[in-house]
Amino acid sequence: MRTDTTTNTSSMLEILTFPFMQRALIAGVIVGVLLAALGVFVVMRKMAFFGDGIAHASLAGIALGILVGIAPLPVAIAYAIAVALIIYALERSTALSSDTIIGILFTASMALGVVIMSVVPGFQPELISFLFGNILTITAGDIITIASFATAILFWLLVWRRELIYTTLDIDNATIAGVPTQLHTVLLYISLAISVVLGVKLLGIILVSALLIIPAATSRLLSGSFNSFFWTSIILSVLFVVLGLLLSFILDAPSGATIILVATALFFFVAVISLVTKRN
Amino acid sequence: MPTSSRKTSSTPAIEVKNLTVRFGTATILEDISFHVAQGSLVALLGPNGSGKTTLMRVLLGLQPHTKGEVTLFGDTTKQHYGRIGYVPQKYTPDRTVPMTVGEFLLAAKPRHTPPHRLTDALEEVGLNPATIQHTQVSNLSGGQLQRILIARALLNNPEILFMDEPSSGIDIAGEQTLYELLTTLNKEHNVTIMIISHEVNMIARHVDQVLCLNTSLVCAGPPKKALNPDTLGELYGSDYVDAHGHNHEHL
Repeated sequence: MRTDTTTNTSSMLEILTFPFMQRALIAGVIVGVLLAALGVFVVMRKMAFFGDGIAHASLAGIALGILVGIAPLPVAIAYAIAVALIIYALERSTALSSDTIIGILFTASMALGVVIMSVVPGFQPELISFLFGNILTITAGDIITIASFATAILFWLLVWRRELIYTTLDIDNATIAGVPTQLHTVLLYISLAISVVLGVKLLGIILVSALLIIPAATSRLLSGSFNSFFWTSIILSVLFVVLGLLLSFILDAPSGATIILVATALFFFVAVISLVTKRN
Repeated sequence: MPTSSRKTSSTPAIEVKNLTVRFGTATILEDISFHVAQGSLVALLGPNGSGKTTLMRVLLGLQPHTKGEVTLFGDTTKQHYGRIGYVPQKYTPDRTVPMTVGEFLLAAKPRHTPPHRLTDALEEVGLNPATIQHTQVSNLSGGQLQRILIARALLNNPEILFMDEPSSGIDIAGEQTLYELLTTLNKEHNVTIMIISHEVNMIARHVDQVLCLNTSLVCAGPPKKALNPDTLGELYGSDYVDAHGHNHEHL
């Protein structure tokens, strides 16, 4: 028994000696913290579809990057920011609902991405890795990009957290109080666009928005205050990413999908425990 | 109490000139003009759909107007942001967001005000800070939530307070406490207050000025002078006057 435990511990430590795994864990933890912190506001504002829409829309940016032969990530970030700003502008200037606007832009961008990719000759492994996530493709440069954006976004989020909460809870009163509500809303949209695209390499276009929602949803079931809601969401997200990455390596399964399955399994576990506790 | 930037004491707290608000082809407010002196406690009266909430939102700078001019203390409303208190007509807490009363108020507390302002505001509305601060906002009763919203409006020591039906959801005793609080804020701290209410008798007892609204301004002045069977009939119809007229004989 002791031999088995020692063997398991040493193989776990061995996993951490692989440079690609180290890069994946660093990138995963940063993206996990970022998406979970923003996810709390996504859940509060009921804008879960925004993350999904932006992630899918980023396909056009990725395809454009591949077509012109430059790094797809910065192009995808720029494209996602543009889409986020168009969503914001249309929400304010038309009578259309957010869901409708996102639905139009997300499908149009995916269609654009498909058309662009049809122009690029041959099989595109990079595109597949963006669709489903691939930890092997995360470079040291990606980590620097992810860490730089994450520092800026988390700084804004932590310093102006009160103003952002007030804007989210009651935009009229926040406006009257002198809070620059439009600026904070635009910054939230831009931060979400950047963070979702940063998570695409790890989790994939199709799955990234889950990390925006599941940690916050799980945390909601465990929390009785906003403070607890916010920090528990971040802790859970890091836990989901680390457990998911390790499990994906052990099982030789796709990393993004494994992270999301681990997160979903823990969400249901907490939901059942919460339900049983309430009944008792 | 208020941190005033008032030009002179004779500058009206609120001045509205020829205000018109239209939504498409519908006219919500038509050519309204009035002023409210600093330190007044004024009530906006009118039937449902008469434009009271729209007028308040225009005064707060939350809604654009079609024509006319609106000033607070001689300036634009935006110049007074941060020194205005507002209790909205409806606020429904989101049950999917866990938030204690303390956190709810902290999000609204201006950074420059001392921490004890939060407990002071709760005490001012008759709530015990020690117990209520840890209660979840979604678990509050209607009356408690209304008091919390009033406490939130007081956090910045406002120079002017706008309240859209603040007594809705509050029982009769709570309503009396609310009007006593408004009177204290108004008389002792010289806070100008505009309140929308349907409580004609309560208004008659506590306010200095009444503005009766039914798309246009039907009456304006002290309650004893402004509220008479003719104006009440014009606001609420002759049936209302027949049914309630005897209640207002003292006006």
